[in-house]
Amino acid sequence: MGTVESLLLGFSVALQPDVLWYAFLGCLVGTIVGVLPGIGPLTGISILLPATFGLDATKAVVMLAGIYYGSQYGGSTTSILMRIPGEAASVMTCIDGYAMAQKGRAGAALCIAAVLMLTLIAPPLATFALRFGPPEYTALLVLGLIFLAYMSSTSLPRTLLMACFGLLLGTIGIDNMTGHFRYSFDIAELGDGIGIVPVAIGLFGLGEILSTPSASVVRKVIAPRLRELLPSRREWRESAMPIARGTVLGFLIGLTPGSAHIISSFLSYGVERRLSKHPEEFGKGAVAGVAGPEAANNAASTGAFVPMLALGLPTGPITAVLIAALMIHGVPPGPTLVNEHPNVFWGFVASMYVGNLMLLALNLPLVGIFVNILRIPYAYLYPLVIMFCIIGVYEVSHSIVDVWIMLIMGIIGYGLRKFGLDPAPLVLGLVIAPTFEMSLRQSLIMSNGNWTIFFQRPIALTLLGLCAALLALAGLSLMRSRKDWRSRLAAAEAGENP
Amino acid sequence: MDRRGFIIGSAAAAASLKASFAQEATYPSHAIVLVNPFPPGGAADVVGRPLAAVMEPMVQKPVVIETKSGAAGAVGAQFVANAKPDGYTLLLHLTSISGFAEVDKLFGRTPKFTRADFVPIARLVADPCVLIVNDQQPYKSLKDLIDDAKKRPNEIIFSSSGLYGALHIPTALFTAAAGDLKLRHLPTQGGGPALTAFLGNNSQVLVSSISACLSQIKAGKARPLALFGSQRSKALPEVPTMKDLGYDIEYYLWVGMFAPKATPAEVVTYLRTAVNKAAHSEQFKAALANLGQELAYMDQPEFAAFWEADSKRIEAAIRSIGKVEG
Repeated sequence: MGTVESLLLGFSVALQPDVLWYAFLGCLVGTIVGVLPGIGPLTGISILLPATFGLDATKAVVMLAGIYYGSQYGGSTTSILMRIPGEAASVMTCIDGYAMAQKGRAGAALCIAAVLMLTLIAPPLATFALRFGPPEYTALLVLGLIFLAYMSSTSLPRTLLMACFGLLLGTIGIDNMTGHFRYSFDIAELGDGIGIVPVAIGLFGLGEILSTPSASVVRKVIAPRLRELLPSRREWRESAMPIARGTVLGFLIGLTPGSAHIISSFLSYGVERRLSKHPEEFGKGAVAGVAGPEAANNAASTGAFVPMLALGLPTGPITAVLIAALMIHGVPPGPTLVNEHPNVFWGFVASMYVGNLMLLALNLPLVGIFVNILRIPYAYLYPLVIMFCIIGVYEVSHSIVDVWIMLIMGIIGYGLRKFGLDPAPLVLGLVIAPTFEMSLRQSLIMSNGNWTIFFQRPIALTLLGLCAALLALAGLSLMRSRKDWRSRLAAAEAGENP
Repeated sequence: MDRRGFIIGSAAAAASLKASFAQEATYPSHAIVLVNPFPPGGAADVVGRPLAAVMEPMVQKPVVIETKSGAAGAVGAQFVANAKPDGYTLLLHLTSISGFAEVDKLFGRTPKFTRADFVPIARLVADPCVLIVNDQQPYKSLKDLIDDAKKRPNEIIFSSSGLYGALHIPTALFTAAAGDLKLRHLPTQGGGPALTAFLGNNSQVLVSSISACLSQIKAGKARPLALFGSQRSKALPEVPTMKDLGYDIEYYLWVGMFAPKATPAEVVTYLRTAVNKAAHSEQFKAALANLGQELAYMDQPEFAAFWEADSKRIEAAIRSIGKVEG
């Protein structure tokens, strides 16, 4: 059966009225779950799992998957409007999206392109994902760090300082290789390490709120008119390429096992900033700074379905729940899924096309409603936001320790803002530290302590080659003392505020 | 707390307030919380949710699954161990509940909880583990693997769900029984990552529950060599058990329900009856069948004896692993 016939079969399943209804329901719930700060897709899916017991497998999976990508999509609404990352992956969107509000939103819907990639290349790509063992993963994370340092707008030492602080925070918790606890001070929750959500919400959400009273700048409320919600032609032009690059990048990263989808939005932000003709606009509402990371984030959530559908492997907690859902409905996920249950597989793929269109229709008018939230005076809005931050953090793992971490991080975030330090590298450092350490030490176990393992495996070697190239580029511009983009940026900023 | 839990929680708070004035009504007077100490989608979660759905109409009160994951299941277990022993906070836990105290002892730490902190209610399922090698390995039998591992000590890699974890312990039982076999350990962050490393040939050997790897076996990506159950499995009738092959070892990934110690006897009796009825319902059995599992129900006395024997095995395995050199 060719791809086209298979997809036609899929659409014949996905367009049945009752399947359509469940797809819509999933998208709606997902959007709500994503918009409410802290209530993540994981909770949404697990609560609704028993509600699907009476349905057949296709409808159940279509609905649960709708919750997943609906929440990825809705999650950015809160981060754009209130500068609170609804979930970890929206951190980058917070930075620029906040400044420019809703304009990049429609771009995210173009992630239908990622679904197309899923349709065409799922099975061959799945085996590629399996080749991503610990050495490849280590190399990917090194590339992420070097990339961040290279792309950063503030001075290199400041960025590296923040990233190292993040990496150090990431070493807290149990050592997975020996079972020793590190810096956990007998607190069971700390034994698991510091979670990314409390840190991100604390640094960005609470830190922002704390520093607002001292800023005394009255923010303009963005008037929500439906016509303005669609991006203008200029914005389309500016966001087309970032979306395309973000989609490819996000999809590829989404394929790899682990929590790498979070770094996809960071990487995309870095790429766009580097390629932009106006890097000085970043942080102040650059279209590319929203469209790229958003596309990357959404594409990564689509990419994560590839190993799940084609191999039956979970790449993260959410796909693990979806796999459990498939099993409860009597569809064993695994390499044989496509052949044994073609209606489930292709119906699911087709429903993602339908679902993404539904999301677009759902979100455009909704953004208008949410923007109205900004009309509430700060004196009433901010205590509410702080409350949502606390509820949101508690909700993730039901841990009061996480709430304390969030509050402390809020104070740290306030301090960092005062000293002009960028908290984003700190978050990235924290995100990659546990995985980086784990995969580095796993690689060395595999090679029995021999470091050449990173140069013997083609994917790892290529990624490390890219790292070397980036470092060489940075060194070259330093030696020639040529004006690189960073000094141009500084010049542009100086011109702006003489 | 999820939204449903929140609503129920507030209702429960109101109810308990009232109850403190009046005499406590008969158990259960409000929602029963089943704590799942692992991330959603794990064995305790997928077994617990259908069970809760069946129990709800029987006890006439909401039965809620609350996720409290962390530290490989220790955080949730500690939470229930310290909960009020009133029968409203119960624990769903796996084989690995027996190991925490022993690991703490190994490191000279005071255990946060021990087995004595819990009253077993019932065992629900027990999935025997199976030893598999990936499709790039030449081994056709367990003997082939053992012979090669003896020739190349510390060269063949096995992955696990984590150090002293639920998949590390059966491998340790096997290597000890096979005459101190030396395999290299690749710990990962869970059952899923362990299987991923295995399929990508980053590890060659894996001990996994049957339900987790059955589809890979059927697709020819994994070859089963030996089963850790006391009898052959219906799903894999051609695979010999360890006992068939002369190794006296057994290991199951079981899911059981526990209450905090000092829970009143009449509450425990009520729960035993309710869980027994729910577990034997057609609805629950059908859900298990879809998961590739069977009901392996044990009521309290039987389960307590089984748990005692099982934890002896696990403690021995942890001692045989010992402390790992950093």
